[in-house]
Amino acid sequence: MENNGEEKFCGNCDSHNCYDYPSKVFCSTRYWQNKSPIVDTLWRCEDYNKVSQECYCVREAKKKAAESAES
Amino acid sequence: MDRKEYLKEPVNHIKINGTLTVDQLMQQFKNSGSLGAGRLSAACDIYEKMLREKDCTIFLALSGAVVPAGMRTLVTDLIRNHLVDVIVSTGACMVHDAIEAVGGHHYKGSWAVNDTELYKYHLFRIYDIFVPEEDYVRLDFKLSELYADIAKERNGESLASDEFTYELGKRLSDENSILRAAYEENVPIFLPSVRDSEFGFIHWLHASQKDQKSVLLLDAFKDVPTICGICARSPKNGMIVIGGGVPRNTIQSSALASKKGLDYAVVITLDRPETGGLSGSTLEETVSWGKMKGSADHVMIIGEALMVFPFLVASAIERLGKDFKRDSFLQREKCMGKGN
Repeated sequence: MENNGEEKFCGNCDSHNCYDYPSKVFCSTRYWQNKSPIVDTLWRCEDYNKVSQECYCVREAKKKAAESAES
Repeated sequence: MDRKEYLKEPVNHIKINGTLTVDQLMQQFKNSGSLGAGRLSAACDIYEKMLREKDCTIFLALSGAVVPAGMRTLVTDLIRNHLVDVIVSTGACMVHDAIEAVGGHHYKGSWAVNDTELYKYHLFRIYDIFVPEEDYVRLDFKLSELYADIAKERNGESLASDEFTYELGKRLSDENSILRAAYEENVPIFLPSVRDSEFGFIHWLHASQKDQKSVLLLDAFKDVPTICGICARSPKNGMIVIGGGVPRNTIQSSALASKKGLDYAVVITLDRPETGGLSGSTLEETVSWGKMKGSADHVMIIGEALMVFPFLVASAIERLGKDFKRDSFLQREKCMGKGN
């Protein structure tokens, strides 16, 4: 994953799992806290981890967001 | 044994034409009587006997990729047509069923792929089948809701695994679901290794939720008197095993504990006996424990279940004919309000 250590996305945290690839993730930390656990992949997560999971969901979500902004 | 006793039945060669039905092909296999074809035709004969036998309870053991590989509807149809009476499954097989019941899918894939790339795309691989992570996660979220609902209803009382699957089936609406069909037809599904599956790990999520007031309680020991009771009350017991492992052992040990011993057994596996593990152990070994009668009709097919089991079922159903109605001991017992 092209993570430069600066970007903070829910898709970079330890508790993210795909819910609707690539746009939505399920955050188990929020579930445990009784908060709505389904959030945008590009939503900023307070549990950001610099050693992020190596996955493509953030890359794909950014591409999708850019395409939406253009159209 | 006399020499001539070894030479009673010549191998008859398989004859194929363009109009063979499945059972006609099975009869050709029987004519050969050799190797895997001979074992498959013997398995079909044994399953037919189980089905025609008055008061034989048929246990089906499920393990491995039964649902991902495409046998979900086959198992559901067996339940709906009362061609099996009790299912003993890994937790995973029923998780796979539940994934599809809540809208997920298993996809045709390949074993020759870059698994690191699959990981980065959030895709899981079961040999040459793919499952998207989100299908698991959607199930997890749904299960956490169902767990809370079941726990609230039980109000602190624990469930046996067959009660757990009954409650799940009650809450799923997919008519092709194994869990749903079993609920509707009152066929018990036991999950002796329920914790070792998504059912177990999602319990952690459910139980750890802040202010969770109703935690689902499962009691594995509660299964034992129920399944042993079924074996004990059934005049005869037969098992069909796909794979092996814990589900096979649960059925065999219940037959032993109830002091009955199995009367029929068909095992489909690719495992080997040399490891000493149960999945590949021969049925002769099973006799030594008293789990199967020495006189039992039995066969072990060394083969991949997706290629074997649909043949076995299709052939048996063809033999029985469309008007066949099975007289199932357990169903009759339930109609009379007996049993557990």
